[in-house]
Amino acid sequence: MIQEVVKKVQEFFPDLKVSEFMNKSVVWINPGRKLLHVKEIMRIKRISGVPVVDENERVIGIVSLEDIIKALEGDYIEDPVEKWMTKNVITLKPDDDLEKTISLFEKYGYGRFPVVDEDGKLVGIVTKHDILTGLLVKLGTIYLHDARRKEVLENPKFFDRSLITEEVIDKKGADFSFHIDYFDINLAGIGASKLKQFLLEKDIDERIARRVAIATYEAETNVVIHSGSDGYIYCFLRDDQIVVRVEDFGKGIENVEIAMKEGFTTAPDHIREMGFGAGMGLPNMKRYSDKMVIVSEAGKGVVVEMIFFKEGRENETQGSNG
Amino acid sequence: MKLKEVMDELGLKYVCGELDKEVVHGYTCDLLSEVMGNAKPDTLWVTVQSHMNIIAVATITGIRGIILCNGHDYDEQTIRKAKEEGITLFKTQENSFVVSGRLYALGLR
Repeated sequence: MIQEVVKKVQEFFPDLKVSEFMNKSVVWINPGRKLLHVKEIMRIKRISGVPVVDENERVIGIVSLEDIIKALEGDYIEDPVEKWMTKNVITLKPDDDLEKTISLFEKYGYGRFPVVDEDGKLVGIVTKHDILTGLLVKLGTIYLHDARRKEVLENPKFFDRSLITEEVIDKKGADFSFHIDYFDINLAGIGASKLKQFLLEKDIDERIARRVAIATYEAETNVVIHSGSDGYIYCFLRDDQIVVRVEDFGKGIENVEIAMKEGFTTAPDHIREMGFGAGMGLPNMKRYSDKMVIVSEAGKGVVVEMIFFKEGRENETQGSNG
Repeated sequence: MKLKEVMDELGLKYVCGELDKEVVHGYTCDLLSEVMGNAKPDTLWVTVQSHMNIIAVATITGIRGIILCNGHDYDEQTIRKAKEEGITLFKTQENSFVVSGRLYALGLR
């Protein structure tokens, strides 16, 4: 059942990497220890599998609960681990994606897969529980809108509050604002370009300015292509973060979950011929921001709020899906 | 590699912009969101899109220059905007595949 659910939601997170959801504090054992020790570790730590690593921290085997039961039945629990461990260990790499991870669980039916770096050294472990937890964390940012959608859209006072932090947003006090008041697709992006310029003038790191601009461009283009109305871009500079909010008053999005999928688009043909409407807009916004909430309902406009942390992301010349 | 060298090596037709800029990467695609999502800064972009919005995409992404393929022409607005934003424009009769291959051979990645 869990597998089914995970399989469905994985399509929303093609860029989720093993390193983001693996458990980094792995319990391991040396090959020379006895199976009895593994049994004790499993009992105390309440785990059902233990990787075996050599003196160079490389994974050379794995012992599961099943191996321990067999050892108890066969009366060889005092034997060294290396004699009975499974030697052909299937492992994951930190850069593997969710799809690969799930395919391993399906193919082998094991309960856990050790994660190793390029040198074969143990760096983490992934169980189904870790995947679920990782997904829930990710889902949190997207699905937040379900609970708050109604109050935001139906109560004007919420329209003046942050979707993420719920603080009152003083739009007049925005550090940057831009009225998206044109309908010509050729002009799309002038707001985002101006915002990038503004951020650079404010001495914001160029890589962050780039991330903000890309995500804002996508939001701005969406307003022009899809909303059928005008809209606004607001940017607030905070000590440790940059907040961007893009709102429109147009047609709205019927199903945000589907719209988040890469490749999904409702753009008409003449727009697609120009290279827009690749169905990458919302996924790009999510990829380039650190937190993103989108609130919408058919006929009631769209509000997108994105937070970009000034510190904490590395290697941001590209998106995480690079 | 300098844009001037690329232009000379590939026999590109020069449209506007500085030639002294360095490019390190190449990227070939006509879908704007894909370009923004994947192209790196200091990229030379190979495309058949000629409308003005490619300049916004280039500016935001950090793309230094654009090669327009298949003998297409840039819109006037596009050229004007490129001059404003400092994006170098070239065009060529060759298709995107050939241009990409030659850029790759020159060492762009």
